[in-house]
Amino acid sequence: MTTTALRLAGRTRVERVSFIAEKDRQGAWWRFIFLILATAIVLVPIAVVVILALMPGLGSSAHGLTLTNFAHVFTGTQTLTWLGNSTVVTLATVVISVIVAAPAGYVLSRGRSKTVTGYSLLLFVVQSLPVITSVVPLFILFANFGLVDNLAGITIIYVGSSMSVATWMLAAYFDSIPASLEEAAWIDGTSIFGSFTRIVLRNSLPGILSTAIFTFLLAWNDYLVAIVFLRTTSTFTLPMGLQSFFQQNATDWGSVMAVAVIMMLPPVIVFATLNRYFSVGGIGGALAGR
Amino acid sequence: MTIGGTLQRQRGLTLGVLIVPSVFFLLLLNAYPVVYAAIQSLHQGSLIATGPFVGLANFTDVLTQASFWHAAGFTLVFTLVGVFGSWLVGLGFALVLNRYVPAGGVFKVLLLLPWVVPIVVSSTSWNWLVATPSSPLPQLWHLLGWGTPLFLADPTLAAVMVCVFKVWVSFPFMMMMTSSALASVDGTVYEAAAMDGAGRVQQFRHITMPLIARSTYISWILMTIFCVNDFPTIYLLTGGGPVDATTSLVVLAYRTVFQNFQTGPGVAIAFLMTAALVIVSVVLFRQIRKSAVE
Repeated sequence: MTTTALRLAGRTRVERVSFIAEKDRQGAWWRFIFLILATAIVLVPIAVVVILALMPGLGSSAHGLTLTNFAHVFTGTQTLTWLGNSTVVTLATVVISVIVAAPAGYVLSRGRSKTVTGYSLLLFVVQSLPVITSVVPLFILFANFGLVDNLAGITIIYVGSSMSVATWMLAAYFDSIPASLEEAAWIDGTSIFGSFTRIVLRNSLPGILSTAIFTFLLAWNDYLVAIVFLRTTSTFTLPMGLQSFFQQNATDWGSVMAVAVIMMLPPVIVFATLNRYFSVGGIGGALAGR
Repeated sequence: MTIGGTLQRQRGLTLGVLIVPSVFFLLLLNAYPVVYAAIQSLHQGSLIATGPFVGLANFTDVLTQASFWHAAGFTLVFTLVGVFGSWLVGLGFALVLNRYVPAGGVFKVLLLLPWVVPIVVSSTSWNWLVATPSSPLPQLWHLLGWGTPLFLADPTLAAVMVCVFKVWVSFPFMMMMTSSALASVDGTVYEAAAMDGAGRVQQFRHITMPLIARSTYISWILMTIFCVNDFPTIYLLTGGGPVDATTSLVVLAYRTVFQNFQTGPGVAIAFLMTAALVIVSVVLFRQIRKSAVE
């Protein structure tokens, strides 16, 4: 439903550009100059990270830009372990979230009963509960199963906290796949499950990708769950690893910023390459449509 | 009976099975913790033991503490500035980008960066920029002859910095929400309005705003939830200081549980916060319904 609207919107936009292009170009250069200045100011904190990461570290004799900070954090610190931990946790969260949310999203999209609507509402209530409320009980529960200070433990929690939004996003996408396609398959003897996997899922790559991006950002960027659950440096994810630099007496900014660059690269690359699949409008529409 | 009947039964069964994994995770990771937290809030326990039953004492304790009301006040300010500040900035950029600009697509991606970059990274960089008297921003202030303010050591300035940081982090989200809403507005409406002599401001007030009202309310609700529940933006920049000046309810709850080890009061704070959040969400949700009817 939402996607259809977006697609329609896209078409209108193209027509409009050709229709009033002349008038729309008025002041285009002023807007351009404004955007250059504003974007430059906005990006200062991000540029600072990159520049400091490439500057020679403390006590180094190098001049100009250098990669010594990166060499140092990979050889002299546990950054490689943290990068590995973050990668494993994030990938596992993305895969499990989609596996759990896709069937649920299908039910929300196709089943139109009171129970289904109720479940959707329940997901909304759960979503607005602060993570801090559930973190304490889960800490106690997980301690019994050895899941505190454990990567599997935080993965399970990330799946739980991304589930609601992932389910809505997928349900909204499934809504855009015509039920008639499935009905035709049913008449040919395909089971409901078969039509879900072979027709709906197979045609939902953009929806699955945007859900995956959302889940990826949530797991990769999280700090609150990590600070509560991770205790030893060998289980740290990158956010905890980065913060651990500040516990030393004098902060080695070169190393800190090198780790910061390593940490921000994956989300930036994902967004730069896949941003056309990611529309927050989709999240909003999914929320309001149900 | 008929093929249709069998299909219906198969359908119900399949849908029932498909929802099972989701229900399992919901019960384990969301329902169970909330119930357990509710029990904890009525006991004087710790992280390892439930402790004796104390009734509503945790709630009355919390509600009579000045620190709670201070944190509630800061949460309110932080949320209001976070929601409307990021909305105004995001709306401004969305309006500029909605018209023809050379390399508009590049700006759109670049302006998303503050939202995409992990908070742990951006807070580190903001700290480097403002924290000490020798940091770049205080130095710039000094050069301009405005003195050398201690941005994170002065209670008022620290609160301002945290709010500015939050707006910086969140405006791209509002920009994306508004952009997709603006893109769906039919351009010919403006043509007609212009012919009727409506100026830019009038067009914006009477055409654009009503048409994007629904999406605007949704973005306010989402951002309210993000702001009230926000932990890292505040905790990583100031740690809640100086002297609790930037302690929000989440930060207070975190400290009460994990630094003072008072589980009951900590969970009570989280619950009171949630209650307030649900009320605000419901009120805003009603607004959406209303704007949908119009």
